[in-house]
Formats: sequence, C-alpha cells, structure tokens
Amino acid sequence: MGHQYKAIQWNGNKIVYDLYVLASTGMFITIFMITGLATQPGGHPADPVILFIRALGVTAFALLTVILTIGPLARLSPRFLPMLYNRRHLGVTMFIVASAHFGLALFWYHAGGPLNPLVSLFVSNPQYDSIPGFPFESLGFVAFLIIFVMAATSHDFWLNNLSAPVWKALHMLVYPAYALLVMHIVLGALMTEKSMLYPIMTGGAFLFVSGLHLYAGFGEWRADNGMKSLKAKGWIDVCAPLDIPDMRAVIAPLPKGDRVAVFRYGGKISAVTNACRHQNGPLGEGRVIDGCITCPWHGWQYRPSDGISPPPFTEKIATYNVKIESGRVFVDPKPNPPGTRTNPALIDMEGASL
Amino acid sequence: MTNASKGVIDPQKKDPNEMFVGWASAPAVDRRFLLGALPAGLAASAGASWLIANELDDPGAGAWLTNATHQVTGVLTNHPYPMIRLADARAPFGMRTILVVAQGKCTSGLRLGDVAGKAVSASGVLIQREGRQMLEVPLFLGDWLKLADEEAAEPDALTNPQTEPLGKATLSGTIMDSKCFFGVMKPSLGKTHKACASLCIRGGIPPSFWARTRDGRESVLLMTDAQGGPMSMDILPLVADPVTAQGEIVRVGDILEFRADPNDYRRI
Repeated sequence: MGHQYKAIQWNGNKIVYDLYVLASTGMFITIFMITGLATQPGGHPADPVILFIRALGVTAFALLTVILTIGPLARLSPRFLPMLYNRRHLGVTMFIVASAHFGLALFWYHAGGPLNPLVSLFVSNPQYDSIPGFPFESLGFVAFLIIFVMAATSHDFWLNNLSAPVWKALHMLVYPAYALLVMHIVLGALMTEKSMLYPIMTGGAFLFVSGLHLYAGFGEWRADNGMKSLKAKGWIDVCAPLDIPDMRAVIAPLPKGDRVAVFRYGGKISAVTNACRHQNGPLGEGRVIDGCITCPWHGWQYRPSDGISPPPFTEKIATYNVKIESGRVFVDPKPNPPGTRTNPALIDMEGASL
Repeated sequence: MTNASKGVIDPQKKDPNEMFVGWASAPAVDRRFLLGALPAGLAASAGASWLIANELDDPGAGAWLTNATHQVTGVLTNHPYPMIRLADARAPFGMRTILVVAQGKCTSGLRLGDVAGKAVSASGVLIQREGRQMLEVPLFLGDWLKLADEEAAEPDALTNPQTEPLGKATLSGTIMDSKCFFGVMKPSLGKTHKACASLCIRGGIPPSFWARTRDGRESVLLMTDAQGGPMSMDILPLVADPVTAQGEIVRVGDILEFRADPNDYRRI
C-alpha cells in the first residue's frame, strides 16, 4: 500500500498482466499492418505511414473501450477482478499508443507546411459551424489532453497529494474523453471509409460500454432502493446479523448519499465507509482476509474495528458505530473520524446481540 | 502487502466466492477462468484487427517513387503553377506536362522566375498516378535544375502549347491537392485528409478537381481562376468536400484545366 512511493511495486500478477497487455497490443498492431499491406484493396498498396497511424488509433480506442468495461464487469462478476487490479498499466499503455497516434498524425498531416502544425490542426478545417463538417481533429486533441492529464497523475503519489475525491473526479473525465473519441471517429474515419463495419463496430463499442455501466448502475440503484425505507433519522436498520455472509459485508445507503459497509467476521459486526482510501474502491464488495477488510480492487486492507491499515501501513478510513437490537443490526449514520476505534457488535447463536 | 499476508489465500481452495487479491496468488476459480479468457481475448483481438484492416477502402493508384531520382528535360513554366513540358511523340498531343513541387507542403517558396520559359533539365523524385506525373524537388535552387540545350528540348513547341477551349461545364466533385493525390498520401481523399489537402494548397501546391464519371473513370482537371491564373486561397474551406462549380474546361497542351471563379464553388 502507499506508505512509501516506488515507480511500480511489482509482483507476479502485475508482471503477467503487463506481459499480456504488451503481447496483445503488439499483436493487434502487427496484424493490422500486415493485413493492411497485404490485402491491397483495388490492387493498390496502402501508405504504410497512414496505415500505422490508423493502427495506432484503432488500438488506442480498443484499449480504452476495454478499460471502461472492466469496472462494471468486475461489479457484475468477481472473475473480472484480475483485469481491474492493474488497470492503470492498461491505461498508461493506451496513453502511449494514443500519443504515438497523435504525434505521427500531427507530423504526417500537419508538419512541413506554411503553418505551425498545432495551428494547422485547428484551422486547416474551419467548419466549426457544421456537424458533419466539424474538424474531428480538435475533438481528438481535447480527448488526448484529458488522457495525458490522467496518465500524468496515475501514480499513487498524485492520488495521495490530490486527495482521493479530487483524483477520482479528475479521472472520471475519462468518460467525456471516450465520448470525444467516439465523435472523433464518427466525424473523421467514418465519414471517409465506406465499409459499414466501422459504424457497426464503433457504435457497438459505445453501446456495450454504456450498457454495461447502466446495467451495473441499475444494480446499485436497485440495491439502494431496496433499503430506501431505512433512510430515516437516527440509527439505521440494516438487516439481521446473519443476513451478512461471514467474512463479507452488506452495503447500505446513508441519508447523505454515502454508503456504509457492514462486515460480519465470525461473531462480530463492524461498519466502515464503503469507499477505499486508495481509489474509492467498493470495500463492501471485498472480504475479510487475515482479519482485515480487503478491498476487491487493489487489495488494500483495514482493520474492521478501527479502519486503520495493518502495520507498517498507516492509511485510515471512517468507521461507524454499530449495535444489534431486537435481532437487527443498526448503524449510526454519523461517521467517526478516520481511524476511530469502535466496539464491534457481538452476535449470539440465535443472531441476537449479547 | 506483507509477505505473511501472501500465504493467507490458498490457491487450491475451491471456493467460488473466493476473491482475487492482486498481491496474493490467484484463487483456483480465477485461474481456471483466466486460462479460458486470456486466449479468447487474444483471439478476439487478432480477429478484430484483421477484420478492421481488411475492410479499408482502396487507397488509390498513386505512387511516390522515393527510391530513385528521376531526370526530365523540357521547358519550365511558372504559369499558372510550376511545371515542365517535355516532348514525347508517343503521348497525346506530342508532349507531357510534369508539375513541379517542392519537398514538404510549401511549394510557394519555389523561385523559378529566372529560368521560367527556358529549356531545363531537372532531377527529383517522381510522383505519378495513372499517367499524371509530378516532380518533387528541393525548395531552393541548386544542382537539381540546369539550363538545357534549347534545340533538344524543342522549346518553340513547348513554350506556348496549343490551347483549346472545350466549352463551359458544371462539374461536381472534390477539390484536392495534386501532390497527395498523385501518390504522396494514400488515401488522399475524404475528410480525414481535408486538413492536409487544405494545408498543401495553402502552401502553393496546385489544386486539382477530381470527379468520377458515370462509368467509374477518374477525371482530374488542374484548377485555375477564371482567367487561367493560380487559384485563390478563397477555396480553402471547401477543400475535400463535395462541391459543384460552373466554369470553362480548357486544354493546354496535354492537360485539362478547369477555369472557374473561386466564388462560384458551392458545397453540395
């Protein structure tokens, strides 16, 4: 975890992850180039530079599409958590490929002329007042700037210094960036190429990403809505103690919009914020491992009773007071300061408090 | 995470609810899933890449012959654009016209005033597309351009080539820069090339009007203003878009010019 900063804290899973990302990315670009040069539609060989620009652009968009599906897929099935674990390396890979696409396109299409290439990028097509004629390059440029800022602040150093909410808000800009890239393709390549495959694939990718987010979001909304009656003043009735699976949690919405994760571990129940200190990961979807609440995203850990990471780590999350009355688990919706020790509620054999 | 923590999760434990934690060994259920998912991901990635690249449009027949230097001898003219006319008994009208452009996208700096109208021998890189040719040369005068024997170049027949008005016409097509179209860029048409084409024409590369006849044949005319002079930069916003214009088609030597006022072009 984050008690000290290293460029990358390698482990076996990260190495396997990165090798897979590099192999699949390299394979995608290689097959694109070989196919593009070998097929020669109309008997005319393609321009290798333009083909490479396209290969890089398609690869970057495909990578970003995959990146955006990982979050909701991991919410729908824990089998996708391995994809999420090292997602930032996938993001940085996408940024490197996108940088090459941007740099090469800027050089090939805009350098060597009477205008500065960056000026040419914005003025060579002046049709800003037309939707079909709109200069798609400017959309790609803005998306690239967002991706650059995200890649530059991807390290935990920035996460810690910007604070998790600011960092998270900054990285939520990936969604406008994705929308800009879809329009970059729609108003650029799709208006040039004739094949129907491209609008189908681009639209399919966009709908798949949107649909997955809506489906996962609907699941959360339904879960929250199921507990709507609990949004009352005072202590919140969450569930019966044994409704919480052992070593796991039930997530409950709080009146102010936050969520609390109520964990059962053996005969004890403790409650902490649902947002991990690291990247706001959903702690309530994690498990108690080795006596610690473990975030499903990157494995950050906290003790259930005080919300403090085990030594040598020092991260703290907010805890909530919890009690069991009349066979029900109640949570005080007022959070304790991060790291505040609380008394776990104890369960008897019948599920009532001791 | 601590080394002690790594032993907590038993990879052999067959618990479907077991959770993957990045710093620990992957649970057996995740390993089984990944053994199927990772190859499937590679196969899907390879298939998608092949499919996308296989569907690309025909990039056109142009060629940029950068691996050789080509030498031509003929009469150099600057009007309406730099070009060399050379005698060729096998070509239509007994001559061939080769446009001359500088390297890169800035041809307007090509200063040929002193040698315009004279027989020259020029060497450069040839760009060609379906019989149309262009010579790419350095921006500044140098060894690539030498005065030639006037008699050998038949200057009288080439300095003032036969000009034949072919009548007024309304054409629909696309404005593009001749250099990219002749073979430097493939593809060189469409919106993805609009900015480049506009920049090239702004830099002095001759604009051409590209139209396709009903039977699929390409028709390419050199664009000039209504008087046969260089085309105004007013057409830049219309480059690469479908446009129509009324003008006059004039044959000058072996090439066709489309002479029209820049204000007469309309986006379709």
